[in-house]
Amino acid sequence: MELFGQLATDGIKKQTLEVPEGCTAGEAAEKLNLDTNLVGLVTIDGVQLTMSARLTPGCRLCFFPPMSGG
Amino acid sequence: MRLIRVNMQQGKALSEPVPPVYEKLGGRALIAKLLLEEIPPASDALGPNNKLIFCPGLLGGASVAAGGRLSVGGKSPLTGGVKEANAGGTAGDALGKLGIKAVVVENQPEAGRFYLLHIHGEIADLLPADDLRGFGTYAVSEKLQERFGKSSTIISIGQAGEQLLLGACIACTGEADQRSNLAARGGLGAVMGSKGLKAVVIEKPTGGGMQPANKELLRSTAQAFAQKLINDPKLGTQGTQHLYGTASIVGAVNEIGSLPTRNFSTGNFEGAGDLRGEHMRETILARGGKVGTRCMPGCTIACRNLYVDEKGKAIVGTLQYETISLMGSNLGLANLDDVALLNYMCNDFGLDTIETGAALGVLIEAGLASFGDAKGITALLRQVGEGTPLGKLIGSGAVTCGKVFGIRHVPAALGQAMPGYDPRSLKGNGVTYATSPQGADHTAGNAFGARAQVNPLATEGQKELSLKLQIIAAMLDSTGLCLFARPPVIAEPQLMANMINGIYGWNWTVEDLDHFYRDVLRNELEFNRRAGITQADYRIPEYMREEPLAPHQATFDIPDAVLDSVFDTL
Repeated sequence: MELFGQLATDGIKKQTLEVPEGCTAGEAAEKLNLDTNLVGLVTIDGVQLTMSARLTPGCRLCFFPPMSGG
Repeated sequence: MRLIRVNMQQGKALSEPVPPVYEKLGGRALIAKLLLEEIPPASDALGPNNKLIFCPGLLGGASVAAGGRLSVGGKSPLTGGVKEANAGGTAGDALGKLGIKAVVVENQPEAGRFYLLHIHGEIADLLPADDLRGFGTYAVSEKLQERFGKSSTIISIGQAGEQLLLGACIACTGEADQRSNLAARGGLGAVMGSKGLKAVVIEKPTGGGMQPANKELLRSTAQAFAQKLINDPKLGTQGTQHLYGTASIVGAVNEIGSLPTRNFSTGNFEGAGDLRGEHMRETILARGGKVGTRCMPGCTIACRNLYVDEKGKAIVGTLQYETISLMGSNLGLANLDDVALLNYMCNDFGLDTIETGAALGVLIEAGLASFGDAKGITALLRQVGEGTPLGKLIGSGAVTCGKVFGIRHVPAALGQAMPGYDPRSLKGNGVTYATSPQGADHTAGNAFGARAQVNPLATEGQKELSLKLQIIAAMLDSTGLCLFARPPVIAEPQLMANMINGIYGWNWTVEDLDHFYRDVLRNELEFNRRAGITQADYRIPEYMREEPLAPHQATFDIPDAVLDSVFDTL
């Protein structure tokens, strides 16, 4: 799991998260006390998904703040 | 309002009333119409019959937050079609306040002579400028601000424009340390060089500025608009744009596998962590540089930075995403100091960092340097300023470099290099690159911001998305509004109608605006058609359809027939 931008508060940027089987990205965000209103992009293994997407063992989960390109 | 026509052959600059056909146009809309009206589409872009146009958007000079972009246009020597490139800085606001609809530069002087155009109040003069020949844009702007006043806006070309290189751009000064705001794409710096015009000096307007038709409507709407920007989580003082600038997206674009890496050969860069906006911000602040600075007066977003070296000495203002990707990951460079230096050099020579980064990527594949070799890459780039034959090649863009060295992997569409999103992993951008009359231009319709609505890797929905985004881009480029400030006017189009009606009193509806934006694209497509650009030119390079891009092993698989139909509902 990795947090980007201003979501990476209190020094928590990258860590391995232990979650129950079938856990969703949204449930993982809750475990991190992440305000999901501040999340603009969720990716699992580099693919953009939603908070309801289920995690798989060993997957890479990333949360990004809202942002747009130039 | 007035138009200034500059006849470089006669050495005269004259004011004239705005012709009725241009009255309700600004920025990219004005450029598109003027090209159709006045420039023979088949003309030589570096010849006497092309024209170079400087104009504010419709909001220019009206004190609307982030509404002061400068549009520069003409026939592009790079794409062979219409080109509008816009820049931040202080020029758009200054021209708007002076009541100047456009400056139109025509003909050519005696070969080898250079001039500067001096605009002060009601007067515009052409003055000799042979003494500025050979100087980069930083030196030119310093010298001219010493001569004409520190508050003057300076528009200039560097050595690249003087040499008529296809990757040459036009630089414009801005607020404080933001000395390099670039009208970058499409070789307009070469057009300026072909006109013998080294610089434009706009003395800071004094007096009341423009008189809006409905002062209260403008004031209240502009205030509401500015407040919406401040309240937007992306754009306010705690938003990613203010905190990290556009470098905020490096991590995300890398994560979704679209970051141009080693000449667009893969979509992930192992060194991306050291190029991310978060790391850039930490580095700048630790070294005593600046983040969250503005280039335009009154901008509430303030996404710029001043990147400094380990001793706190300024390297470049500003380091942003496109340069970080095309001159960083695309060249295998993972150190922002190296990228910042390359950025500074391009700004000084007056070179588009996207086009030049892509050209260097092609040349590295050709064996002229190695990916990741900052010294070798910097030495290559230095040759542009030195005017060597290889330097001229580097400054002529990715397609020319590919042709000369027989390299198939040239990431370009309509002759223009692709920006910092590989279209195989962000297919909406591929549709924009292929179909925009501007060529491969992310600001013509960037699908990255719409990734929640349309899956970047899917084929469905990309055509409709690109059309929608291209219409929005036409709005931004014609009003002079910075594209980062778009969310409120997309959510509430009436805001834009109110601001324009407040300034001009035209009583435009939202439907009138939509028609206005679509007309921009229609006019551009028509000019390109008359210039000889056909459907077969609006394409993604063949290799991107055949060679899968890691990590998703994606190819660009949107059929040509779909690309051909993007504008069916325009």
